[in-house]
Amino acid sequence: MKQFSIKRYYPIIVGLIVFAALSWGAAISCQIEWTGLFEGIGKGMFFLKNLFPPDWEAFPEMLQPALDSLILAFLGTFFGTLMAVVFAVLGAANIAHPIVRTISRFLIGLERSLPELFILLFLIAAFGLGSMPGIICLSLGCIGMLGKLLADAIEEIDSVLIQSLTAVGANKLQIIVFGIFPEILPKLLAYSLFRLEINIRLSVILGAVGAGGIGYELDYAFSMLQYHRAFSALLVVLVLIFGIEKLSAYLRNMLNIKANLK
Amino acid sequence: MKNPATILPSAQYKRKATIFSVLSIIVIGCCWFVEFNPFGFFSEFHFVQDLLSEMFPPNFEIIWDDNSMAMSILQTLSMAFLGTFYGGFVAIILSFLSATPTMPIVWIRNLTKFMLSLIRVIPSLVIILIFVIAVGPGAFAGVLTLVITTIGTFGKLFTETIDNTENPAGEAIFSVGSNRVQMIKYSIVPQILPSFISNLLYAFDINMRAAIGLGIFGGGGIGYKLHMAMRVLHYKDATALIALIIVLVTIVEKISNTLRKRII
Amino acid sequence: MIEVKNICKTLPNGKQLLKDISFSVKQGEFVGILGSSGAGKTLTLRCLNGLLKPDSGEVLVSNSNGEMQNISTLNKKNLRIARSKIGVIFQGYNLVKRLSVLENIMIGKLGQINPWRSIFYGFTDAEAAAAMEVLERFKMAHLANNPTGSLSGGEMQRVAIARAMFQEPQVLLADEPISNLDPGNAQMIMELIAPLAATVPVIGVFHQPEMTAKYCTRVIALKEGRIIYDGKPELNNAQLNEIYGEELQKVITKIAEPELNALNTTNANEAI
Repeated sequence: MKQFSIKRYYPIIVGLIVFAALSWGAAISCQIEWTGLFEGIGKGMFFLKNLFPPDWEAFPEMLQPALDSLILAFLGTFFGTLMAVVFAVLGAANIAHPIVRTISRFLIGLERSLPELFILLFLIAAFGLGSMPGIICLSLGCIGMLGKLLADAIEEIDSVLIQSLTAVGANKLQIIVFGIFPEILPKLLAYSLFRLEINIRLSVILGAVGAGGIGYELDYAFSMLQYHRAFSALLVVLVLIFGIEKLSAYLRNMLNIKANLK
Repeated sequence: MKNPATILPSAQYKRKATIFSVLSIIVIGCCWFVEFNPFGFFSEFHFVQDLLSEMFPPNFEIIWDDNSMAMSILQTLSMAFLGTFYGGFVAIILSFLSATPTMPIVWIRNLTKFMLSLIRVIPSLVIILIFVIAVGPGAFAGVLTLVITTIGTFGKLFTETIDNTENPAGEAIFSVGSNRVQMIKYSIVPQILPSFISNLLYAFDINMRAAIGLGIFGGGGIGYKLHMAMRVLHYKDATALIALIIVLVTIVEKISNTLRKRII
Repeated sequence: MIEVKNICKTLPNGKQLLKDISFSVKQGEFVGILGSSGAGKTLTLRCLNGLLKPDSGEVLVSNSNGEMQNISTLNKKNLRIARSKIGVIFQGYNLVKRLSVLENIMIGKLGQINPWRSIFYGFTDAEAAAAMEVLERFKMAHLANNPTGSLSGGEMQRVAIARAMFQEPQVLLADEPISNLDPGNAQMIMELIAPLAATVPVIGVFHQPEMTAKYCTRVIALKEGRIIYDGKPELNNAQLNEIYGEELQKVITKIAEPELNALNTTNANEAI
């Protein structure tokens, strides 16, 4: 009996050994030093104590940057959704020409391979600082995510529906407006709201790299060692992200209810 | 049910036109507020063309010349690996502590859920800044950041997965007299295992990209190299690195997707 | 009226799907096309409205001016115009589920109104009123504002027929319109379609010979891409055998059921 049960665990034991070996190798390549970690925890704790209390005077100065980040996220999601719809329609096999579809899908996939931070750096290198690189970067991110999801959703539409619209003599554009849009509208709104949540976080992170807004304030305060001010910025960021999440969840819930009532 | 006569197309059009106008005003207002000119993208497109001409042709030589390139790739992969699996491991443990079927003690559940929410809301920017202060810049800070962000992203997801498991199996096992631990082992684990593994593979995919992105903040790996190349305006090198990154990320994504399809 | 002359369709690997199909249908006729699966029924129907181009032969449909046009040679723009005058009903999924019933009816006229106006403005009140009239004719006015997805299968097919008639078509085509419906609804749909033949020629592909026997004025049977029968809708067993081959058993039982029942009762009576 005992022999039998040990054999059963062989694969798990082997798996664990492989995993341990990989971890060890990975840790070395990342130059992980456990002593550093313990020291680091000490440093980290000490540092975190330094954050409190937040700099109350700095709060009013944080409001405009926060608004900037919020608007950046909103505009990025808005324009991004519009463009994503175009890419999605061009990337759907049941509506678009095969070559066009391949190109569209390729571009969408390309966008998803590149980390947003670097896309932003390139846009800043091209257009300089300001709100444009940030908004374009967020829009491109939208295209990557919503473009793929919506293109898949369009391809799921029954081909007979499209045939029946062709049969009444509708042209391509009419088929898209009357056949495709109504079917994907609920998904479009839901994905868009979800992306808004992601975009507000991105807006903060991108802010530190040059997109402005509250991310920039946070990073700047950190690098100037003004940790209390940084903590104020952080608190504003938390409120912002949390607020958008609740708003997005609420709106998506309303959409669900409306859809079910229908 | 509305009287059919009341919903005329012209009334519908008026409603749609109003919504469209209000939305346009809001968007235009926002653009003005942040000084964004959408058409500027087209009028200033020549900057992009200038940049592109500086970026091409890519200088693939540096991939062979630079001795530490392989090390950087390995570092990025390692960061993603460690972040995914150790972060995932902690996420699983925390999810067991915050899900209803596996943790009957309410206050522990609520506390863990709150902790998970807190971790989730803090942007990764802040986390890496803190770790860079604690352990210095480099891949180590990157790994720790990825561990924390993985916990944040997947902790809630895993909790929901456990909460959504089917109960009947659990009740059946309870009824033959086993205790909660056995119920977990035989009823819940089989149901959640495919989903967990699938999500971990997806996390690896995400963390791969995140690891590259963190390079900017001193996180190490290829991301760091790319950032350096751009900083010193070696754009041709940067393009080569981007090509490398695209290849790497695509390979990881394909492997991740194939393995995930096998699980389902 | 609609006229088909010698259409042929061949697969790239050489297999002939349609061989010299010819027939013509005029107003007043309700034609049912029968045949076993793969015989070429749906292909023929698709050629009739241009969804499929035959390799050779002509498909002539009268347009609004009364002239006969060959659909298979029209360019894109004219094909659209021609299609707008051909009504088609499919087996299912004709309608956009998220739009209201009235909107689905009005979609029928998409080929006949200015595309840009339809996209940026929508439909006019006049078109809505005309669509309501059609709905009233089909006794569905009370459903006008319901989202189409909430309708039953039979109701959806009625809306599809209403939409096709809203086009004011020159010919009505139906691709297995009752195959997805239960017998009660199927009968209702057939009773709805049959009288339409008075205004437009109706051609339908069916899998139900008992239905075509009852409602059609004429039956065309296809086998392996060829027409093997064109005439009266009532078919005897030998003819059904010819058309369907192995499917015969099920078909015979359905049609012969009254006779079988009569036999059983007689036997039972005798036994008693």
